[in-house]
Amino acid sequence: MKRNLSGLLAGLLLAGAFATTTPAFAQTNKEGSSMPKVGDTAPDFALKYSDGKDLKEVKLSDYRGKKNVVLAFYVFAFTGG
Amino acid sequence: MKNFQQNLQKLEAADTQVLGVSMDSWFSNKAFADQIGVTFPLLSDWGGKITREYGVYKDEYQAPRRVNFLIGKDGKIMEEQVDKDAIDPTKIVDACQRPKMKQ
Repeated sequence: MKRNLSGLLAGLLLAGAFATTTPAFAQTNKEGSSMPKVGDTAPDFALKYSDGKDLKEVKLSDYRGKKNVVLAFYVFAFTGG
Repeated sequence: MKNFQQNLQKLEAADTQVLGVSMDSWFSNKAFADQIGVTFPLLSDWGGKITREYGVYKDEYQAPRRVNFLIGKDGKIMEEQVDKDAIDPTKIVDACQRPKMKQ
């Protein structure tokens, strides 16, 4: 019985600790864990941009064996960086 | 994106194509490119499919985080820079200029 009680207490303490730390922890995990790692093959894509007249499609695979590619994700247009 | 534009000659000399990506419409991205004088493509990932595939979608922004991936000619990722580190393109420029990247 005493053991059960201390177990319960430990459980409650643990639950309390998780309640305060989980949101930040879970978020970091969620956002960070699915990024491909250095050495992984970059996922292929086909995306469009406008050159002012036409929409043009760019595929990552177009550059295979030809050029290195810097893929620069940014948050929003009209913001810094 | 301006930072990459300023280094574009060096990057092109090292056989490197720069592609910006955001979840803005292609219309917004074209206007943005014109405003800041960017000549490389700013791609529209409308809906965020690719942003999520690359694991850079941030709930708080409902948009991508600031992340650079340097992808080699073999299609493999050579470098990654996240958030503040992704603003300064020096490391990417240096990496591109390494002899093995030119092969």
